[in-house]
Amino acid sequence: MRRLLAAFVLPAALAAGAAAAVKNPETFVYAAAADIDSFDPAWAYDTMSHNIIANVYEYLLDFRGSGTTVKDLTAILSEKVPSRANGLISADGLTYRFPIRKGVKFHDGSLLTPEDVRYSLLRFMLADRDGGPSQLLLSPILGLETTRSGGKPVAGLYERAAQSVRVEGGSVVVRLHRPFAPLLSVLANFGAVVSKPWCAAHGQWDGRAETWMKSNDPAHEDVIPNELANGTGPFRLERFERTQSQVTLARHDAYWRGPARLARVVVKKVDEFATRKLMIQAGDADVINAQLIYQPQVQNLEGVSVIDDLTALEAPTFLSFTFKLDPVANPNIGSGRLDGSGIPPDFFSDKDARKAFAYAIDYAGYIRDIQRGKGRQAAGIIPPGLVGRRTGPPRYRLDLRAAAEHMRKAWGGSIWEKGFKASIVFNTGSPQAQTLCQMIKKNVESLNPKFKLDVRSVQWSTYLEQTQGRKIPLFIGGWGADYPDSHNFAFPLAHSAGYYPGRQGYSNPQADKLIEAAAVEQDEAERARLYGRLQDILDEDVPHVPIAENVRYRAQRSWVKGFVFKPTFPDMPYGSYYYDLSKSE
Amino acid sequence: MLRYILKRLAFLPLVVFGVTALLFLCLQFLSPEMRASLYIKDPRQLSQIESVIEKYGLRKPMPVQYALWLKEVAHGELGYSETAKMPVSEAIRAFFPATFELTLISFIPIMITGIYFGVLSAVHRDKFIDHFTRFVAITGYSLPSFVLGLLLLMVFYGKLHWLPPGRYTLETDMLVHAEGFRHWTGILTFDCLLNGEWAAYVDVVKHMLLPAATLLYISVALLLRITRSSMLEELSKDYVRTARAKGLPENVVIYKHALANALIPVVTLASLLFIGLLGGVVITETVFDFPGIGRWGVQAAQQLDVPGVLGATMLAAFLFVTANLASDILYAVVDPRIRVGD
Repeated sequence: MRRLLAAFVLPAALAAGAAAAVKNPETFVYAAAADIDSFDPAWAYDTMSHNIIANVYEYLLDFRGSGTTVKDLTAILSEKVPSRANGLISADGLTYRFPIRKGVKFHDGSLLTPEDVRYSLLRFMLADRDGGPSQLLLSPILGLETTRSGGKPVAGLYERAAQSVRVEGGSVVVRLHRPFAPLLSVLANFGAVVSKPWCAAHGQWDGRAETWMKSNDPAHEDVIPNELANGTGPFRLERFERTQSQVTLARHDAYWRGPARLARVVVKKVDEFATRKLMIQAGDADVINAQLIYQPQVQNLEGVSVIDDLTALEAPTFLSFTFKLDPVANPNIGSGRLDGSGIPPDFFSDKDARKAFAYAIDYAGYIRDIQRGKGRQAAGIIPPGLVGRRTGPPRYRLDLRAAAEHMRKAWGGSIWEKGFKASIVFNTGSPQAQTLCQMIKKNVESLNPKFKLDVRSVQWSTYLEQTQGRKIPLFIGGWGADYPDSHNFAFPLAHSAGYYPGRQGYSNPQADKLIEAAAVEQDEAERARLYGRLQDILDEDVPHVPIAENVRYRAQRSWVKGFVFKPTFPDMPYGSYYYDLSKSE
Repeated sequence: MLRYILKRLAFLPLVVFGVTALLFLCLQFLSPEMRASLYIKDPRQLSQIESVIEKYGLRKPMPVQYALWLKEVAHGELGYSETAKMPVSEAIRAFFPATFELTLISFIPIMITGIYFGVLSAVHRDKFIDHFTRFVAITGYSLPSFVLGLLLLMVFYGKLHWLPPGRYTLETDMLVHAEGFRHWTGILTFDCLLNGEWAAYVDVVKHMLLPAATLLYISVALLLRITRSSMLEELSKDYVRTARAKGLPENVVIYKHALANALIPVVTLASLLFIGLLGGVVITETVFDFPGIGRWGVQAAQQLDVPGVLGATMLAAFLFVTANLASDILYAVVDPRIRVGD
């Protein structure tokens, strides 16, 4: 068939090949597989959204090249990287001074001021949407994991925050609650700077003490809408098209480091991999989302380069359980009862039910068939390269007999007797997650004919909403580093105030204590020991089942120049820092 | 004729009533909380779901709920689609024009090709052209649309670089979103013409050619087969023999006499095809990355977005009723013997 097609199209293909110059030389097109949740830096906490934010807004600091350590940091909106040596970090490690860069312009033409930086950091902390990123700064600066108590904003918090983040002359001074070494790394990925007057003019918090509570834990509809953005970054938001899930960025000509070489960047969701592949083949896309399972299909495409064996700083792929589901209007739990046609909202609060799933996963099959042998079964939640990563044998392996035993014990034997029906959910456009869900379904359903698992896909933004709303009993999760430190994996995956436990309803005070102790521990060996104990607890509690460590690759047109793999940059290796890129033969 | 049309129009509310009642009956299988999502116009209301249930009497008898639901639908309130991230009515307005354009560009070639080759096949029964058209028809009918779509994309886009997927190129994207471009109708091809943007018009049409060709190939088969069998039946009748005996030219016998009578089942099928296209062609829209109503409807179904699914279904039902009426009127045009009550 291939020969037949080749013969049919040869003359035209030759003509087309002869004219294969750089297509749209000033426009970069990324054919993505997921849609975008939000461009508001105080709301967004997912890789797709942050990829756009990191190009439209800027942070105080950034990592140079592929670096991930403090010495790799470079100054962006701060004129200098604070250190003890330059006197910008106090001797007690509690005060950081950021001299704010002058002459930086927002996309609307206004000049960046230290007050904008202060406002941005305060807004980031005080918005504190449920399941959002605010805790990343709240914790080190105010010593809090949340701004609410009993569901209501805590009075007096603004005053505390305003005391901790101050403008002094041309600098912003941040006073920490306790020493926190990764602070600079956090500020290289979070706390993007917005314009205070612009935000206030667009219905956002006006920066006053009297009004902050109204903006606390905002609804999605109350943050900066996706049609608007005003940062200092190298690209401005030109357009967001909801129906086509497309974002168009245009060059910010007044960018302080000089305009980008690319005039435009288009990030477009294309559902079908086959279409994405044809787009990169034809040169209409410069990079595409192509998971490991698809690598053989793009490996030898003419005009396409593959950058292989990239290891982003990310947690292993894992399966997560929601302990306390929201039953209201929830299509994922069937009848909502343990009657064989659904599950009760607290189905996965039973440890044996979770362990049964952990024993029903074909880890080796996943690595062999889906990761094409490149991955490795994970023994814990901390990725390679960080303190506390486990290298010993994993606690769980495929053992259907053990899975059946645990299912017999779960819910006093009711599950085994009555059966259950629930949904396992993954985000659309992830064939790896889809296949994994199907493998789990097959094995779990093989335990007992009364067990039914529906595999469902939802769009990325819906996935985020539904996991946050505790609507999904079982889901495939992942976690890219916010900053390169083990705490950034232990906290969001295992602390009761963390991102995932908050969504799951998981809490273990002992795990919380270990995570908090490890965060301030200076001795690396002791930290590793604390994380080891934490992972023993997680093995027993099974809030997540770590499956396999990931290896990635990037397929891009050969004419794309300047790509730098940044292990902590959002949506790596598909998304990029577009300022680095250009297109030429 | 006018009386006939008025009589048919009089049936319209009854059909709409039947369709909506059926839809509503299906909804009763869902919990009150799930049904409440139909009345939610803003995600913030999700936190007050109990008050929504109370307001719309979702625990009351079905007729009460139905009356309240109809009232909302009559006001265009179809709920909020989680999939589209916008109210359902807005989503229909956003996605439908693309599907409508694709239908327009596909339907006329489908009709012309199907009828022409159906007649040709019948007239040349058991000759090469008959076998050939039947072969084409069978392969078209049996080929999954995603296979055909991908094949066409591989050849005309992947190899030849002629016809790309999506809605338009980057240049047209810039143009249609530029300040000076006025969206008079919301239908891109028309708007390009009205703005005098010929290059953009050609580009938009080019982007629709492959999905349209896919639809043509998979849809024409049925039309061709129905036309052929209907024509064969007519050609064997006495009046055709008489016409030929009278010495009428063959073209007149075929196209004026036999075809006119053979068109009744063709009109029925054509209206169904038209509805099918307008209701969205899921696979074709997905493969060609075409932002139409079918793709949205399926995403809504996959994500159990009840308001989205119902919105798409309501639209399909409305289109069905309208197209059915149009086909009834066409029956009367094609065959003057057909009248209501006859």
